Amino acid sequence: MADPTALLLREQYNNPVQQRESSTFGMWIFIMTEVMLFGGLFLAFTVYRMKFPESFIVGSGDMSITLGAINTAVLIGSSFTMALAVFSAETGNRRMLSIFLLATMFLGLVFLGIKFTEYYQHYQEHRAPGIWFDYRGPNPGQVEMFFLLYFLMTGLHAVHMFVGEGILTAMLIRNRAGSFSAEYHTPVELTGLYWHFVDIIWVFLFAIFYVEGLHLHKL
Amino acid sequence: MTPAVEVPVERNYLDAETGIKSWLLTLDHKRIGLLYVASVTVLFFIGGFFALLMRLQLLEPYGWLVGPQIYNKLFTMHGIIMVWFFLIPSIPNTLGNFFIPMMIGAKDVAFPKLNLLSWYIFNLAAFVALYSMIRGGVDTGWTFYTPFSTGFSTTYVSTAALGVFISGFSSILTGLNFIVTIHRMRAPGLTWFRLPLFIWSHYATSIILVLATPVLAITLLMVMVERIFRVGIYDPALGGDPVLFQHMFWFYSHPAVYIMVLPAMAVISELVPTFSRKPLFGYKFVAFASIAIAAIGFLVWGHHMFVAGQSMYSALAFSFLSYLVAVPSAIKVFNWSATMYKGSISWDTPMLYAIGFIGLFTVGGMTGLFLAALGIDVHVTDTYFVIAHFHYIMVGGTVMGYLGGMHYFWPKITGKLYWEPLAKLSALIVFLGFNLTFFPQFILGYMGMPRRYAAYAPEFHMLNVLSTAGASILGVGYVLPLLYLTWSWRYGKPAGPNPWRATGLEWQTPSPPPRENFEETPVVTRGPYDFGGLREELRLG
Amino acid sequence: MAQPAVSRKTYAYTFGGLLALTALTTLLGFIDMGPMNVVVAVGIAAVKASLIAAFFMHALYEGKLVRVALAGGVIWFLILVSLTITDYIGRRWS
Repeated sequence: MADPTALLLREQYNNPVQQRESSTFGMWIFIMTEVMLFGGLFLAFTVYRMKFPESFIVGSGDMSITLGAINTAVLIGSSFTMALAVFSAETGNRRMLSIFLLATMFLGLVFLGIKFTEYYQHYQEHRAPGIWFDYRGPNPGQVEMFFLLYFLMTGLHAVHMFVGEGILTAMLIRNRAGSFSAEYHTPVELTGLYWHFVDIIWVFLFAIFYVEGLHLHKL
Repeated sequence: MTPAVEVPVERNYLDAETGIKSWLLTLDHKRIGLLYVASVTVLFFIGGFFALLMRLQLLEPYGWLVGPQIYNKLFTMHGIIMVWFFLIPSIPNTLGNFFIPMMIGAKDVAFPKLNLLSWYIFNLAAFVALYSMIRGGVDTGWTFYTPFSTGFSTTYVSTAALGVFISGFSSILTGLNFIVTIHRMRAPGLTWFRLPLFIWSHYATSIILVLATPVLAITLLMVMVERIFRVGIYDPALGGDPVLFQHMFWFYSHPAVYIMVLPAMAVISELVPTFSRKPLFGYKFVAFASIAIAAIGFLVWGHHMFVAGQSMYSALAFSFLSYLVAVPSAIKVFNWSATMYKGSISWDTPMLYAIGFIGLFTVGGMTGLFLAALGIDVHVTDTYFVIAHFHYIMVGGTVMGYLGGMHYFWPKITGKLYWEPLAKLSALIVFLGFNLTFFPQFILGYMGMPRRYAAYAPEFHMLNVLSTAGASILGVGYVLPLLYLTWSWRYGKPAGPNPWRATGLEWQTPSPPPRENFEETPVVTRGPYDFGGLREELRLG
Repeated sequence: MAQPAVSRKTYAYTFGGLLALTALTTLLGFIDMGPMNVVVAVGIAAVKASLIAAFFMHALYEGKLVRVALAGGVIWFLILVSLTITDYIGRRWS
């Protein structure tokens, strides 16, 4: 890993272009599998949203729109810094690459911090599903289904965020070891693809969990 | 293309490095293929052992060997092991891994480290699944149907589901690797329509692997969450919908049938031209039929749910679409037959398996049409008719294809020839044993014997005895190749680079191949199955 | 060395557009539009996702193959949802 020239071309490839295109294409196929992974959960959400429309809007009304909207902005910001990190890598600016990777990691951690604050609030309000759930209104089972899907989907998203933080750390270490240059920075690009994809998932989660019940909020 | 000359290679991939570490840390796709052969062979015999116990139990109408509780666990573990730990990886991860890079003239797959990782993940998954078995087994059936699996079963459902969940990552990595390899690593001049059909079929398989497997992963994850946290995603008592589980499960598991059978078709498409000495009839039709099977295969899952309470309108649509998927399959069968027509057929062992495959797959496919018909399906749902049908596809199709491919490629893999008369005999034993085992089950199912019961009414006795007798013959047919193939690795006669006078790039390199497959990157100037061109070259060479 | 695929200016515009759309969807959410609320919310989310994919992920600048992979993922997700949902809708009819 330490020798940067060894990273330029691995033995199974004929030339660097082939290597770069293979890696990028592989990452896109991986993203395709992630679409299907989250797709199963979005399917479950759609089915139950159709079955219990009222209860799902009631559940959505319990979300904190302030925290949710701030978190969306934070995550979009982290995607922006990630895009700039890729730009720095493309221009061979290693110092700026490190700075933008750190900024992305920081914003990602802010997101996770806010997310877990929300989880804790839901737990205190007895909205965590299972033995912790307690809801006195009509159709508690249906509202619990909303929160179950909420915890599952945002939870799986959070797991992806943690994985992303790990990858960013690895990129940071490799950049400091001098592995990347204007000629070779494919891993940074792939990290960017992953990070932006996780952002896309959140954009949809925000729409279906937070925005739907907004009109029930008392302003 | 360089003519096939016999170059004495001292450093083939088997001798290049030695020692256990050189195998466990290898990045060579050929060695990883062999590692998979070892893993799936062990798992095949474990799964087969469960089948043997089931057939023994059913020798007597009221059972005699085990109680119903244990019997439930037997068929569940048989299904889980055979589906996810033998059939899914059987051909792609062994022969596919070994021969895809060779057939496209590449040095290796696109991501060798992911390839090795995928083998370790597979073994971890198998270990977890076997652990659930040692702890006491699972009794839900391989399908993990809810609400029984989530709310009622007291067996190790979560552990077994975890094993299958982990194995999914191995599938995804393999599929991803193959797609990128086939797109990006082809030798100069090897255009899409010069690819062997082995590659086309594996390409279609890989598409299913990456698109379907994630849905299974999330479905089983939700089963685990439901059991562990006692919440109700699928549980009707908590407002959940068990039919949703079936939708998601079969969105994976129906295409998974094509993950199993497309690679077998890949093998057959190589065997039939080679042993008929003719180019494959209608090459482009067969190539696109593979892609069509992969695509349409995703639209038919509802035919597993005709009696599960899905809407009548969906059932009609799914029934129609299920007929549609028979079209590309039939195209393949017709084209294989047309290839053999007026060919100079040689009856070598791989060809025996290929012909066996075509016959058995046709029976399996045609009975599949019975099941796609709404009226007949209601009559035979959950009977032995269904069991016989899918065993004709999976055992008569995939396992025959696997064995045929193993015999065909064995000289290339090991550089040795096996003893042909014994191999022919065991191919015959497999064919006879298979039919004796599963044909009576069609009749049993039609007469109404339900699946998954440890006992049955006395009038089914005779056919069950026949089936068990067939199973014991089939067992012999499976153990024999294990013995003589292993024996030939050590004591067999040297095979030479191209014992079958086949046309693919993989036969243009010594047997066993060198570590980097080809001494120099081959340049392809002609289409596949060009036996005329090969004859010229052999004459000139 | 080739030029970077996307300029910093484009990234900045994309970022601004995404923030604006987030604000828009939040504001529209406060209006009770009946069943249209979810349609609007998911529609705006789809626009945001397209922006991220096109510019941040360079999908707009990639070759045919990557676009096919992206389209494949989306189409297969839609197959999964639409064929399942038609069953649920059909059950209400019978």
